[in-house]
Order: sequence, then structure tokens, then C-alpha cells
Amino acid sequence: MTASLLVQSAVIGLSIGSIYILMALGLTLMFGMMHIINFAHGAVYMLGAFVIYYVFFQGGAPYFAAFAVAMVLLGVFGYLVERGIYRPIKGGIEPTLVALLALSTFLEAAGYPVFGQLDKHVPSVFEGTRSVLGVSISVERLMIIPIAAALVAGLYLFINKTKIGAAMRAIEQDKEAAALQGVDVNMVNGLAFAVGFALAAAAGALIAPIFKLDPMMGDQPLLKAFIIIILGGLGSIPGAILGGLMLGLIDSVVATALGAEPAFLLSFVFIILLLLFRPAGLFGYAP
Amino acid sequence: MRRNIVIPLGLGVGVLLVVFLPLIGGDYYVYLFALVFTNIILASSLRPSLMCGQLNIGHSGFMSIGAYTSALLAKNLGMPFEISLLCGALLAAVVGLAIGYPALRLRGVYFAMVTVAFVEVIRLIAQIWVPLTHGMSGLSGIPKPNLLGMTLVTKTSQYYLVLFLMLVILTVLWKLESSRLGLIWKSIGMADNLAQSLGVDIAKHKLLAFALGCFFAGMAGAFYAHFIRFLFPPEFGFLMATNILVYNFVGGRGHFVGPIVGAIFLSLLSEPFRGSPYETIFFSIAMLSTILFLPGGLITLPARLGGLRWQRTASAPTSSPVA
Repeated sequence: MTASLLVQSAVIGLSIGSIYILMALGLTLMFGMMHIINFAHGAVYMLGAFVIYYVFFQGGAPYFAAFAVAMVLLGVFGYLVERGIYRPIKGGIEPTLVALLALSTFLEAAGYPVFGQLDKHVPSVFEGTRSVLGVSISVERLMIIPIAAALVAGLYLFINKTKIGAAMRAIEQDKEAAALQGVDVNMVNGLAFAVGFALAAAAGALIAPIFKLDPMMGDQPLLKAFIIIILGGLGSIPGAILGGLMLGLIDSVVATALGAEPAFLLSFVFIILLLLFRPAGLFGYAP
Repeated sequence: MRRNIVIPLGLGVGVLLVVFLPLIGGDYYVYLFALVFTNIILASSLRPSLMCGQLNIGHSGFMSIGAYTSALLAKNLGMPFEISLLCGALLAAVVGLAIGYPALRLRGVYFAMVTVAFVEVIRLIAQIWVPLTHGMSGLSGIPKPNLLGMTLVTKTSQYYLVLFLMLVILTVLWKLESSRLGLIWKSIGMADNLAQSLGVDIAKHKLLAFALGCFFAGMAGAFYAHFIRFLFPPEFGFLMATNILVYNFVGGRGHFVGPIVGAIFLSLLSEPFRGSPYETIFFSIAMLSTILFLPGGLITLPARLGGLRWQRTASAPTSSPVA
């Protein structure tokens, strides 16, 4: 592998890693508060990409407007899922996981009759290439990095500086105590669903101009996000960011050298070994 | 009084139907019910793990291991079906132990995520190990099953084979569940901390329950391979794994017959749209509505309906004094 190829795959790894981070952050936020894993996260990513297809490409709206529409629409959807699925099950973790799994397979399967059998393509939003360390990279992929970074920074400020963020952290520490202090746990859980769904939608919206769109497109990033949050430690936000960057780099560099399938197999072997020797993940608390 | 007659009568009719089905129905029904029996094995073999409160979303991966192992041993080495079936089941159990050992010591969600990723791993291995599995061209020319040196040529004989296999496996699982082991599984599922404080080695029992399920899933896969005689990696993906889970939840997790009821009910109802997206839509709607509106599954439906009827007569006792 030449140096320029290494730089190229590292930059691409960074941009793909940013997508994974957006996915993993929502998962880990929801896990920290409610101890559930949102199996429908991949389907939400897919829906985010399809909103870009219909609003930006078919509807002719500006890209960033479509981007905002995707985040808002799916954020509202997330809130409704909390009301309609999470809340009625009343905290039963296993039934909740299975219900979210069913929601995911429903959305994916319904995608075929609704969106059509053929793969969809969204035209390029940012044209051209930019030279990075002497290697030319498409602006399309480069742009993912600052946009994702801005979203991560926004999430950081939201969680650490706002009242709702404080309520989320309180629920994460102790749900009953938070409720006793007057936190409306149901409402805040609903907002966590909304934030998680909106971030997944953003990830899908960012990837829409780069990859082809089909109803199952969310499965791969969902699995990657699982690996990341196991890697970083469930519930840990810094862990999700570092895990995402690591997996993005490993993925891209190993995939360039050996192919995409060995890269995935390698990351699976890695997390199994990690679970054996360091079950809390690289940065997480003890499970 | 009436209920005492209905259940044995229904069972009797069911047994007669199953035994004489190849005589009454055509090839189509023989084929369909052989697959239903395979689904019953898969669904019931997931139950021990579920009883321990472990959400295994990777059962189809173990089925795939059993299917490919048995098919390749029989096709390439000419191994008799009885042996290749056992080898497939054993390998599935060994892989289950290897995956389950690290994952089961942690919280349930870790296990769920690892098993989901595992399905993908197995699919990818089957897909890229082309010299052995023929990858995405699919593995064809798998020999028909044979017993004691006799090849089971007709679908009818294979139907009786899987019927026999299913009955043996269900008996074993039932015996285990009604033994002390079943009690331990139930105690782990209800309150693992409490079980541990009473001296139950929960990690060991979770692992055993899981590996047992993998063993029988491998067996179901091995039969499937020699029955369909063509294996294609994506077949054993995420969707089949969720379906196996759906059988358990829709049927009901409270009793041994739950997964059996779920597998029969859903396999037969989804038959008209098998292989289309509508099958998945049907399964997921069945799953969501069961969890939200009938958390105990289909097996609690008669009691619920009975309860409703009782409530209605109780609330209006004067309107129908005779009936």
C-alpha cells in the first residue's frame, strides 16, 4: 500500500467514522438513560437518506433545508415511538428490544413497496475534489467531517449546558431520584428518542449523495454502531466518539488492503476478544 | 366440562392430520409442513435461552452452520446423513460456546448485539469462502437424506423423517424444561441476582441453555440442507433470525407450547406471501401488536377470551338467566 493510498483511506475512514459516530451517539445516549438498544436505528438512517432523495432531489429544495427536514421529521417520529412503543411496554427491556426490532423490519420491508424495488441515487451536492496532504479527495466525503463535528458539538452543548440535558444526565444517574426532583421522566425520555432518531437521520442524510439508496442500507451502519458502542463502552459518549473514529480508520484502511468483508470479520473478532479481556469496553464503566 | 373434551379432541384430530397428511394432501402440503416442523424445531430450541432472559437474535447463524457443515460433509466426503447431521449440530454448539462464553457474562443487551453481528459474520463467511461454499452462486447438489444406508428419495419419507426428528427434539426439550434444569432457567430469567445468591452458577447455565439451542438449530439446519438441497448464504440472515424470535413472542413465552403455536400459526398464515416483503411486514405487525396488546402471546388468548365472556355474563346476569 502506497503512502498516498494510506492517506486517502485514512481521510475516507475519518469521514465514514463520522457517520458511524452520529449513529453510535444516539444509541449510546438512549442506552444510558433507558438501558435499551434501538434496533430501529438503521431503519431511521435509511429514512433520513430517503427524505434527502424526495425533498432535495425530487422536490428541488436546497440540500441543507432537506437535511433539516430529515432531522425534524425523524426526531418527531422518535418522540412518537417513545410514546407508542417504549412507554406502553413500561420499561420491560426484552419486550422493548423485540418491539424495536419489529419496527425496524417493518420499516425496511415496507420500504420496498413504498420506495420501489430499484436502488435510488441522489446527485452530488458538493462537486469537485480537494487536495489533502498531496492526495485528492472528493469534497463530498470531506464535507461529512465538519458537519458531523458540528452536530457532535451541538449534542455536547445540549447535554451539558441546557436544562433538558441536565435532566437527561440525571435520569442516566438515577431515574427515581430524577423523578423525585421534578424531572418529567417520560417527556425527557421522549426527547432522548427524538435526539437519537434525529442524529441517525442526519447520518443517513449525509451519506445519501455518496452511496446508493435501498431499504436495507441501514443494516451495515447499525452493526458498525453496535461494534462501536461495545468498543467504547455502552453508555459512554466519549467512548462512542473514539470508538467511531477507530472503527472508521480500521474499516477503511483494512478494507483498502484486504477487502470489506475481512475488515468486518476482523472487527467482530476484535470485539469478542475485547469482551473476553476488557468487558467494560475501552472507555466504559463496568457493565 | 366442555373444555375437558375440546383439548384432547383437538389434539387427536391434529395428530391424525399430521400422521396421515401425506395421504390426504398433495406434495405441496408435505413440503409446507416439513418446513413448518423445521420452524418448530428452531423456535423451540430458542426457548431455553429466552427462559434465561437472553435475547438471541442470531439463531439463524447456527442453523446456517449446521446446514453448511452437514451438506459439505455429505456432498464432499460422502458421509452418511446421521453422522453429518450430528457433526453439523455439534459444530453449531461449539461455535455457540465460543461466542456465548464472552458475551453471556455481560448484560443481556451485549449478548443481543453480539448475536446480531454474528449472523452477519456467518453470512459473510459463507459468502466469501467460495472454494468451500460456492459463495453467492449457492451450494447445490446436496445429497438427499439417508437412514441406515437407505436413501429417503420421496418428499413423503423426508416428511416423516423431520416429523420424527421434531418429536425427539421436543421430547428432549420438554424433559429438560420440566426437570430441575428448567427450574434453574426460569429462576435466572426471573431474577438472576436472586438465583446467584442462592448458589446457582448463572453464567454456566446461561451458556449451557444457549449451546443446547445452538445444537438443535444446527440439527434443523442440517435437515433443511438435505431437504431443500440448495443453500444460499443470505437465506440465513437477519430476517430468519428475527422470525425465529417472532415465533416465540407471538406464540407466547410463558409455556412450552408457545413457540410451537407461534411457529405453526405464523408459518401457515404467512405462506401466501412467502419470500416477498409482505411476509416481513406481516411478521413485524404480528410481533408489534402481540407485544403491545397481548404480551402473553397467543397461548393466553383462550383464557383472555374466556375472561371476557365471563365478565360479560357477570356484568349482565339478569339479561340471560337461562343460557
